[in-house]
Amino acid sequence: MLALALALAVTCAAGAYLATSRDVLRAVIGLSLLGSAVNLVLLAAGRLGPSAPPILEEGRSAFGAVANPLPQALVLTAIVIGFALTCFALVLVLRLMQAARVDDTAQLRFAEPPAVDTVKPPEESDELAERTDGAAALRRRDEPC
Amino acid sequence: MGAASNELHRPSTGSRAFAALVCLAAWVVFALLLVELARRPFPWQFSRAWAPSLGLEFALRVDGLSALMLLLITGVGACVFTYAAGYLAHDPRRTRILAQLSLFLVAMVGCVSADNVLLLFLCWEATSLLSFLLVGTNYQDEDARKSAQQALFITGVGGLFLLAGLLLLAQLGGSHSLAVLLARGPELVSEPLFPYAFAALVIGCMTKSAQFPFHFWLPNAMAAPTPVSAYLHSATMVKLGVYLLARLHVGFGAWPGWALTLVPIGALTATWAMVLALRERDLKRILARSTVGALGTLFMLIGLPGEGAALATVAFLLAHALYKAPLFFVAGNVDHAVGTRIIDRLGGLRHALPFSAAAALLAGVSMAGVPLSFGYLAKDAIKAAKSGSDTLPWLLTVAQSNRVVAALSVAVAAVAAVRVFWKHPGVNEHCDAREGGAAMVLPPLALACAGIVFGLFPGLIEPLLVQAAGAMLPGGAGAQLTLGQGGSEVLAAATLALALGALAYFAWDPLHRLLERRLFDDRFALAGLYRAGLDGLPRLAAFCTRAVQHGRLPEYVALILALAIAPIAAAVWCADGVDLGPLPAPELAHAGAAALIAAGALSACFVTSRLLLLLASGLVGYGSAVLFLFSGAPDLAFTQFVVESVFVVVVASSLLAMRRVTHLRSVVEPRVRPLAAVLSLAFGAAIAALVLWVAAQPFDAATSEYFKSAALPQAHGRNVVNVVIVDFRGLDTLGESAVVLFSFLAALPLLQALRGARGRNAA
Repeated sequence: MLALALALAVTCAAGAYLATSRDVLRAVIGLSLLGSAVNLVLLAAGRLGPSAPPILEEGRSAFGAVANPLPQALVLTAIVIGFALTCFALVLVLRLMQAARVDDTAQLRFAEPPAVDTVKPPEESDELAERTDGAAALRRRDEPC
Repeated sequence: MGAASNELHRPSTGSRAFAALVCLAAWVVFALLLVELARRPFPWQFSRAWAPSLGLEFALRVDGLSALMLLLITGVGACVFTYAAGYLAHDPRRTRILAQLSLFLVAMVGCVSADNVLLLFLCWEATSLLSFLLVGTNYQDEDARKSAQQALFITGVGGLFLLAGLLLLAQLGGSHSLAVLLARGPELVSEPLFPYAFAALVIGCMTKSAQFPFHFWLPNAMAAPTPVSAYLHSATMVKLGVYLLARLHVGFGAWPGWALTLVPIGALTATWAMVLALRERDLKRILARSTVGALGTLFMLIGLPGEGAALATVAFLLAHALYKAPLFFVAGNVDHAVGTRIIDRLGGLRHALPFSAAAALLAGVSMAGVPLSFGYLAKDAIKAAKSGSDTLPWLLTVAQSNRVVAALSVAVAAVAAVRVFWKHPGVNEHCDAREGGAAMVLPPLALACAGIVFGLFPGLIEPLLVQAAGAMLPGGAGAQLTLGQGGSEVLAAATLALALGALAYFAWDPLHRLLERRLFDDRFALAGLYRAGLDGLPRLAAFCTRAVQHGRLPEYVALILALAIAPIAAAVWCADGVDLGPLPAPELAHAGAAALIAAGALSACFVTSRLLLLLASGLVGYGSAVLFLFSGAPDLAFTQFVVESVFVVVVASSLLAMRRVTHLRSVVEPRVRPLAAVLSLAFGAAIAALVLWVAAQPFDAATSEYFKSAALPQAHGRNVVNVVIVDFRGLDTLGESAVVLFSFLAALPLLQALRGARGRNAA
């Protein structure tokens, strides 16, 4: 358990450190690491017991000392979903980098552009698009060649 | 206002029928009320179960005070409906306004006859809401919208205070019946919480009756059509605050704080409002200011101790309604005929509008308190009230401010009645002005005449007024009250007021110029605060939104991490001496897997190459797989191995795709970000501490044991993990599979776009 806790500490710290990066690809990998860490936390919460798998051998109807099946069931789907999430995020980020030609989250601000008025929410305007090159780049891409 | 759309709109038959019906109904109700008044002694009571489980009932109770208000509401209401039907004859909004006025009448009747405090509150709020709708009739006009909003905000916030006060009172008194609460009044005033209930109630009444410092909404509410102003903002709705305090007087009038609160508020409001009236040039706003003055006087009268004060309150209440409503009607007639209400542009209208002039003169006489009018009798009663109570000398000193109010009232009456109709105009530009028809002439004449008739024959109304005053006094006192007590002393005071008023009237223009430039009231009183608050609210909202939703992704993540760390840190801080139990040396396999994971995670942090970053993150996955393998979870291990292997393929193709992303401007970040490092280490430590702490807790294996024992007999499966996934929690797994599928579907167009761009780049 101690080894697992230490590995978890390192993984969580690394995941958090990467997730707070301005490099959007590193942020995605940070999230993926945090996902892996959560799987391990689930496993640890079910205790690291006997190392025999919870599979009933032919001819027997009761278990001896086996590992806890519950966290395994939870983690199994979490692995697959985490993988799907990471792959989707990767593709999304790649497409974004390709279109905006930038990987800095500080400049990828199409959804939440910087404020221009003290009260009114920012609107998408040409002037704004000029300032965020990314939006202009996206617009260029969508034009038919 | 109404004149603007003249000749454009011809009322339909339905509209005319509706107007006639509403007027008829109002007159019938008024007549029925008169018959009932003659027939049945007070109090009239009615009660139906409403929500018995909450102890609520639909309870009505009408005594002399309520009856007087009912008479005003229905009598003035019938006049207003008739007047409105004529005033708005060519206005397409007539039907809507009449419908809202009818609803308002119902709400007012409910308000003054309710015995249940919650019913009272509901009706009270209904009048605020209808006032909002009616003030905002010209919603195309920004000023009208703002005025309506202001009226709603002020009276609505006051309504909340009223609700708090009523509920607190009901809590203290143990009943929702106003009559029961008032009967227990002498006990209630000694409760420690009573002053708070009283303060809340007074604030509610002050907002409704436009007392200082909430006085500014009433003149602005003059954006409403004139019939509405005459009805809501002079004769009835604004009197609700006065009515409620008069109603409470019987229970709490003897409490020392009562007079201490109400007399200064009323005196200050009255004096200040009359001074502000001198600043106005709009006839309706002048009248509105003087209405605030009258309401202040009423507050003061309610506050004064003694039986005479009760009689003065109800007499002045009636007198004010009888002269102010006709003056509003006349102002509306002038507006209708001439198209302006600015007094500088008005004059000599007596030839063009003879009936309006007569009504204005009669009402003005009553307002000025000329002998033989009902206004004089009211003034007489006020005088008696002030001299009748000698318990608190300083209160009487405050009450002397009433002299100023009386004098300025005379001046306002003269402006409304004399200046507009008799003063010679500089230019004769109104020669084509005409009276608007019987519906617009008869209501003001009728009400103004009533003010004179009651003055000549006080016996007609005296019994009701004495009953009303009696309802304000405990133990049926005041039965021997009579109107018209004062002799020469009152006559002298009235003459003095008339003389001072005449002086103010002739000096009106210089006084106006003197006061016009002093904007202190608009800027520094609550009016300025209200405006600043209304401007500041969206700014505050914008500031909060920007502080939370700033668009900087790293800070979002940091906030989430901090919020995850905080409760764990707090729990660790609070728990003293958590026993983590024995920590056995880890097995070699576990230690190796942990080392693999840690190595992968650490290297992911420090590598700069993208390829190495992705591969390092894969190492964490492989390490997890090894750990699963040696923890009795082969299914997990195999799944993780497969996933990581596929991930390598994804990484390879991603990097291929990324190579084609040309002109990429990569962010330049410092190699070590100290703040992020501290936060991350804290997060890692918190999670590790959490895991260790959880592992030290006693383990409840009930669910696991259930799945282990049920897997074979119920699901006929020997691999418990598989059975749980595909059988016991099959539906969950279906949903999770759907998530995977949808993420693939969502990635598909992005992939196509990536590939398409690549093809274009190649071409």
